Amino acid sequence: MSFRFRLWVFLVGAAGFAVLFAVACFGLPAFGSGHHPYGVRAVRASLNHHTANVIASVNFDLRAFDTLGEETILFAAVLGAVVLLRQTQDERRKTPEPAVVHPRVRRFALLTLPLALLVGLYVIAHGQISPGGGFQGGVVTATALHLLYVASDYRALERVRPLTVYEIGEAAGEAAYVVTGFAAVLAGSAFLANVLPFGTLATLSSGGTVPLLNAAIGLEVASGVVVLLARFLDQAVEIEEPGEDEESGDPREIEKPRESQGPGKPRESEEPRGCGRPKESEGPEASGASRDDDNRDDKRE
Amino acid sequence: MTDVLIVVALLLVAGAATAAVLNRDPVRQALVLSFLGLALALLFTFLQAPDVALSQLAVGSAVTPLMILLTVRKVRRRSGNDHGADEPAGRER
Amino acid sequence: MSTSDGWLAAALVPLLALGPVLWRIAHGPAKDRLVGQNLVSLLAGLALLLAAQGFGRPSYTDVALVVSVLGPTGTLIYARFLDVLPDSRLVKWTALIGVPATVLPLCVATGPGRAMAKLLLVGALLIAGSVVTSARGGDGGTTA
Repeated sequence: MSFRFRLWVFLVGAAGFAVLFAVACFGLPAFGSGHHPYGVRAVRASLNHHTANVIASVNFDLRAFDTLGEETILFAAVLGAVVLLRQTQDERRKTPEPAVVHPRVRRFALLTLPLALLVGLYVIAHGQISPGGGFQGGVVTATALHLLYVASDYRALERVRPLTVYEIGEAAGEAAYVVTGFAAVLAGSAFLANVLPFGTLATLSSGGTVPLLNAAIGLEVASGVVVLLARFLDQAVEIEEPGEDEESGDPREIEKPRESQGPGKPRESEEPRGCGRPKESEGPEASGASRDDDNRDDKRE
Repeated sequence: MTDVLIVVALLLVAGAATAAVLNRDPVRQALVLSFLGLALALLFTFLQAPDVALSQLAVGSAVTPLMILLTVRKVRRRSGNDHGADEPAGRER
Repeated sequence: MSTSDGWLAAALVPLLALGPVLWRIAHGPAKDRLVGQNLVSLLAGLALLLAAQGFGRPSYTDVALVVSVLGPTGTLIYARFLDVLPDSRLVKWTALIGVPATVLPLCVATGPGRAMAKLLLVGALLIAGSVVTSARGGDGGTTA
């Protein structure tokens, strides 16, 4: 596609969008008026399904299919980051030096860790009652685990963080969402319809499938963020490119992963030969490929 | 009273966003970005949208700074051989 | 001015204090940045607690709870990468005076119950986070 052609495609698309947007704007209710057509319907639907938090009802009940799309975007984004930030043939791992941490900081971080985990799980579990839900709680839970990095160093985090488990967890969260959707189909309703008993309003078990979907999202987001941050930490702390340090040794040789790295790591050393990037990781293919991915994401949205 | 809170929060958001653009050092930008995240969370809460505020807080207060700082460290380590470590990395971007 | 307006007016105090802090973060010397970052999460937590009471929505306290957990975490992450701890008496005393001055009236207003327990937890977390991260003679560690 030449630049001119792309420009024309953009102009035609922008003109069409402008017309439709202008027409839609004239159909909107007046700003600041007491007339909220969507709000009234959403609140009614939410209360019918005994979900106290209307936002959770909109996200996981009325528009559960949209949320599946959002979850998939996050899943694909994490997958893309994992592929781009993998250890290539000419990069090698070094053992990071242990960090010196102020004892007061260490004590505080270790005490806050279980509390932060609890807050994360609380936010996930109460998604249908109070503000929050799977995404917010999932990120808090993942952050809580990284307090261990703050309390000591990356090796301590790696020791208690089997990365494979989190990679499986991410996929399982995504799968659980889809399975819940198909369960509704098997029950004789539509995909992702709320078929479970709704329970009592403002209790933990209220909302039918909303808490289940929240839990699936929580699992996916927490695992996804952990996997994502693991790649960033690997790159910043452990993986070295040739010529990055003056240490001797053949840079093309991949060091055996240390035994403390956990079961998630060895996969990287089994990468097929010949898929290494050129020395500059922003080589033409790498950046070109990522741009293509972006385009595809845009189209899917 | 709510309107006053919203206006103050909006001013903080505008100020922080401008400061983030005007700063050139990535680490300081990350700090201003954290501030911007908290100001946005306050704004969302004053607009009575606590779900959005929670999302903003969860992502903006620890995960984003960690990712930015890790990236800065990696880029500085790589460019350390070429330009010297004092040069703030990623300045051109 | 109704009671809820009073709480919202009180929330204006920490909110307005954020202005100078932003200036210090954006333009102040390097040492002040982390102190500012630490102070921001403390002030935001207080403003959120007061706003929750002002709007009459106890469930908004959850936002303050998340700030009180993640704010110090963010500060410690910065401390790790900048190799300093924000040893600042300003943050410490703002926490030791500001948090009780905010949380105790809120507790009186809510009355005993689970909401009050949550308020006290948020207050304790805000104080602990601010005091620990502003520990004197701090050394954030050398390498990761």
